Amino acid sequence: MHHFNDIYPFTAIVGQEQMKKALILNAINPRIGGVLIKGEKGTAKSTAARALAHLLPDRQVVDGCIFGCDPVDAKGLCFDCQKLALPLPVKNSRMRVVELPISATEDKVVGSLDIEHALKKGEKRFEPGILAQAHRNILYVDEVNLLNDHIVDVLLDAAAMGMNFIEREGVSYVHPAAFILIGTMNPEEGELRPQLLDRFGLCVDIEGIHDAGTRVDVIRRRQKYEDTPEEFIRSYEPQEQELRERIVRAQKLLPDVAVSDDMLKMIAQICIDMAVDGHRADITMMKTAATIAAYNGRNAVIDEDIREAAALVLSHRMRRRPFSEQKMDTGKMEQSILRTQGQKAGVAAAQQHTHTHTHQH
Amino acid sequence: MHHFDDIYPFSAIVGQEQMKKALLLNAINPRIGGVLIKGEKGTAKSTAARALARLLPEHPVVEGCAFGCDPGDYRGLCQDCEKKYPDLVAIPRKMKVIELPISATEDKVVGSLDIEHALKHGERKFEPGVLAKANHNILYVDEVNLLNDHIVDVLLDAAAMGVNIIEREGVSYVHPAAFILIGTMNPEEGELRPQLLDRFGLCVDIEGIHDADTRVEVVRRRKAYDDAPDPFITSWQREEEDLRERILTAKELLPQVTASEDMLTMIAQICIDMAVDGHRADLVMLKTSATIAAFKGRTEVTEEDVREAAELVLSHRMHRQPFSDQQMDKEKVEQSIEKSQQEKKQPEQQQQNPENQKPKENTTPDGSTTTQFAEGQPFKVSQKPLATPRRIDSFKRDGSGRRSVTESRDGKYVRSRIPKTIGPDIALDATIRAAAPHQKDRKGPLAVKIESSDLREKVRERKMGNTILFVVDASGSMGAQQRMTAVKGAILSLLIDAYQKRDRVGLVVFRGKTAEVLLPPTSSVELARKYMQQLPVGGKTPLAHGLSKAFEVLQREKMINRHTIPRLILISDGKANVSLGSGSPLDDANEVAARIKDAGISSLVIDSEKGYIAFGLAQTLSQEMGAKYLKLEDLQADQIADVVKGIGM
Repeated sequence: MHHFNDIYPFTAIVGQEQMKKALILNAINPRIGGVLIKGEKGTAKSTAARALAHLLPDRQVVDGCIFGCDPVDAKGLCFDCQKLALPLPVKNSRMRVVELPISATEDKVVGSLDIEHALKKGEKRFEPGILAQAHRNILYVDEVNLLNDHIVDVLLDAAAMGMNFIEREGVSYVHPAAFILIGTMNPEEGELRPQLLDRFGLCVDIEGIHDAGTRVDVIRRRQKYEDTPEEFIRSYEPQEQELRERIVRAQKLLPDVAVSDDMLKMIAQICIDMAVDGHRADITMMKTAATIAAYNGRNAVIDEDIREAAALVLSHRMRRRPFSEQKMDTGKMEQSILRTQGQKAGVAAAQQHTHTHTHQH
Repeated sequence: MHHFDDIYPFSAIVGQEQMKKALLLNAINPRIGGVLIKGEKGTAKSTAARALARLLPEHPVVEGCAFGCDPGDYRGLCQDCEKKYPDLVAIPRKMKVIELPISATEDKVVGSLDIEHALKHGERKFEPGVLAKANHNILYVDEVNLLNDHIVDVLLDAAAMGVNIIEREGVSYVHPAAFILIGTMNPEEGELRPQLLDRFGLCVDIEGIHDADTRVEVVRRRKAYDDAPDPFITSWQREEEDLRERILTAKELLPQVTASEDMLTMIAQICIDMAVDGHRADLVMLKTSATIAAFKGRTEVTEEDVREAAELVLSHRMHRQPFSDQQMDKEKVEQSIEKSQQEKKQPEQQQQNPENQKPKENTTPDGSTTTQFAEGQPFKVSQKPLATPRRIDSFKRDGSGRRSVTESRDGKYVRSRIPKTIGPDIALDATIRAAAPHQKDRKGPLAVKIESSDLREKVRERKMGNTILFVVDASGSMGAQQRMTAVKGAILSLLIDAYQKRDRVGLVVFRGKTAEVLLPPTSSVELARKYMQQLPVGGKTPLAHGLSKAFEVLQREKMINRHTIPRLILISDGKANVSLGSGSPLDDANEVAARIKDAGISSLVIDSEKGYIAFGLAQTLSQEMGAKYLKLEDLQADQIADVVKGIGM
C-alpha cells in the first residue's frame, strides 16, 4: 500500500453497520462474491473499502507465482504452476485490495505486450495487468458507475469466467482471474449496467447519519485522524486486531456451518416470493447466511441469519420497474419466513418460535 | 509590455471580500480542500488565484524531485525520494499555480509512458503529468464546468486521495498529488456535477461591484498597474508583507485552535437541518471555522466563526429546488444555531421536529404564483410497445450500439495506422511489426531498432450515446386543465425509454421571464425524474429563452462529451409571449429554432395545445426547427415506440 496514503482504520468508522458487515462477510468468505456500496457523497464508502485491506486474512499461495495460484485448486492453476513438479511450493500471503483507477487503460487492465522486453530482447512476452494481480484478491473500483464501457466489458468477461483471455497486440495468453469485486458509487452520477450489478454478491445502500451526537463523533474522529494519523491508527490497533482474529475464527468455523433443509426451503421461498431473476440470489443468500452464522460463532444457520442475509442479497436483485425504488419489502419477506415455518409440521414449539420473532420485528 | 512574472498584488484587489477570505483560508490551511469561485466574467477570479500564490511563503522541497516532495514529511514522499531518504537536499520554493487547460487530454493530466525514451533506450519511464506538477501547489482550473467529463473523474479521484494512481499504456505508477484545487466557473455556461461540487471545500458566488466609486477605484488601480507594473507592485509591498505575516501567524496558531463540544454539535445540527449529503460538509465546516479563528488570532472557535464558515461551506452543498437559487438560507442556519444552543440549556426537552409542510402554492422571486402539479401516470398503453423486441432493436441501431472512431485516447484500441504527426498514442505492436523486416540492416544497442518511419499510432473506437434534452414549457397556460399532469406523464414515459437505452438526459424549463437548466445532462435518469416532479408551473411563456438555453446546453454538451448525439425534445403549446430582445416573441422563437436546425440537432416537438381553437403555433415552430411534430394526445397512443426512433437520423 502507498505509505503517503495512510488508511483510516476500519473499526474507527462511525455507524454504517450494514456496509461494514457486508465487507467483513466478504473477507471471511470470498465466495460471497463482493459488494456494491451505493450512497450519497461523503459517507465513508471509499474509506471503508480501502480500510478493509488491513483486516484481510492470510491464505496459501504457490510460492513464486505472479498470479498467487491456490495450491489446492489443481484445475485453477496458471500455465507456469501447471508445469511445476508436485508438491507445489507453498507460502502464506495476505489477501490484498487491488485498485482499478477509472483512468486505467484497457491494456493495463487485461495485460499486454511487455514493451521493455520486446525492444531490448526482441521477444514477445506477456505482461500481466490488473486482472492478474486481482486473482484471489479484492478488486476495488471507486466510482464504478463511471468506468468506461469497454473496461466494464472486459471486467464482466473475466468475472463470468474466472479467467482472463488475452488476444491483443500479438500476444495470446490465458490466466486465472477470480476476484472479489468491491465497488462504490454515487447513484446521482448515473446508474450501473444491470449485468455488472448482478456480479456483485451483496449490495448496501448507505446515507449520512442524521443524529447530531453521532455526527459529532464522525467529525471528531476524522479530525483526530488528520491531525495525527499515526497515533490515531495506533490507538485503534487493539480493535483492528480483535476484528481480524474474529474474522480468522469465523473462517475456520465456516466449513462446519450446517444449513438445515428448513433453512434452505426458507431461502428458496423468500427468493420465489420476492420474484428475483435466476438462482444466483438463492446461492448467495445461503453462503451469506452461513458466513453470518460463522461470524456469530454458531455452526448452524438460524432464521435470523437468513433475515440478515436477505437484506444484503436481495436489494439489488429485485426485478425492478423503472423509477420504483429498488428496495426490499421486509414485510413480504417476513410472510415468506412465516410460510416456511408454518409448513414445519405444526409443532407447538415452532409456533412459539414464530411468535417471538414476529414480536421482535 | 509587462514582464510575464508580474502579478497583480492580492491586497490591491478591490472588494470581493468573500473570495479573498476563501482563498486566504485555503492558504492558511490547505486541508480545507480548495475553493470554487462562481461568477461573471471579469471579476478578478483568476487574478486573485495567481496573486494568492505570490502571497504564499516559500516552502522546502526536495531538490530535483519531479513532484516537489516536502523533505520534512516522510509519509508524503514519492517513490524516488523515499529510496533516497534521509539523504535529501532541501531547497526553498515558491508555491506555484499550475493551470489545467480545459483542452488537456487525460494522459497529459495523469501522466503517461515516455514514448521517446522507451523507443530510444528500450526502457519504461513515467512521464509526469499535470497532477504531478500540482503536488504541493495550487491546481487552477479556469471554467471548470467546461472540463471534459472523464478528466473531471480523474481529477476527483486524485483530489479525494491526495494520490495519483496510474495504470495506463504500459506504466504503473503511484505518486503523491496533494494540491489546493481552485476552480472558477461562470454559471451561465452550465452547471457543475454535484459530485465535483462537493469536492471543493468552499464556494463563493461573486459578482461585479455595483457601486460607482468602487468601480472607479478598480479601474484606477488596474490602469496604474498596467502603466507601470513595477512601481505599482512596490507601492503595495507593505500590505503584501503584512498579509503574508498574518498568514504565517495563523498557520502557526492553527494547530492550537480547539472547538468545544457545543461548537461541534452546532456544526452537526446545521448540517442536518440544511439536509446536506454525507459528512464532508461537517468536516470542512469545522476546519474552516478553526482556520477563521486562527486568522483572527484566537485559539477557540466561536459561534461567529461557525456562522462565517457555514456561508462558505454550505452554499454549494444544498439540494436545489427548481427555480430557486442554490443559496444558503441564513435564517435557517440561525435557527439551527439557536436549536443547538437550546438543547444545551434544556437537554431533557424533547427535540421538536421543525419539518414544516411546504405549501403547494408559493410565490417566486419574480412575483408570479406557481403551482406544482402531480405527475401524470406514465401511460399504460405506451408500456407495451416499449417492451417489444422491436423497440430494443431500434435503439440498438439508433443509439447505444453505435460506435465511432474517437480522437481522444480513452477508447478501445481497434487497429493501427501511420500517423500524420507523431503523437503520444503509439501502437507498439504494430510499430515493432513495421520495424521487423528492416532489422538486419539497422544497427543499435537495442534488439529492436525503431526509426520514425516505423511508427504506428492507435485508432480507437468508442460507443456513442444520445443526450436527450427535454425543454419543458412550465408557463401558466400549461397549468390549465391539468395539462402539466399529462406532460409530466409524457416526460416520464420518455425518461423510462431513456433509462432503458442508457441515454443521458437533461432538463431545461422556461416560465415567467427566463429559462433555466434544471438538470444539466446526466446519466442519472432518476435525478431527472426527481427534478421533474418538483416542477413549478405559472407565469408567461419565454419560449425563445427556453430554446436558446437548450441550444447552449447542447452545444456545450457536444464539447465536453464528444461521444454523444444531441437531441432535443420540446414540450410546449408554442404560445410564446416573451421576446428575447425587441422583436416579436414568436419570431424570436422561430429564429432560435432555425439555428437549432442549422446546428444539425435532431429534435421533436410535442404540442400540448388543446381545444377547438388551435393556433398551430407549435407546428410552425417544429417546421422551423426541422423537428418531428406530435400532439400530446398522439403520444399517449401506441406511437410512443416510434417517437424517439423517429427523431433519429
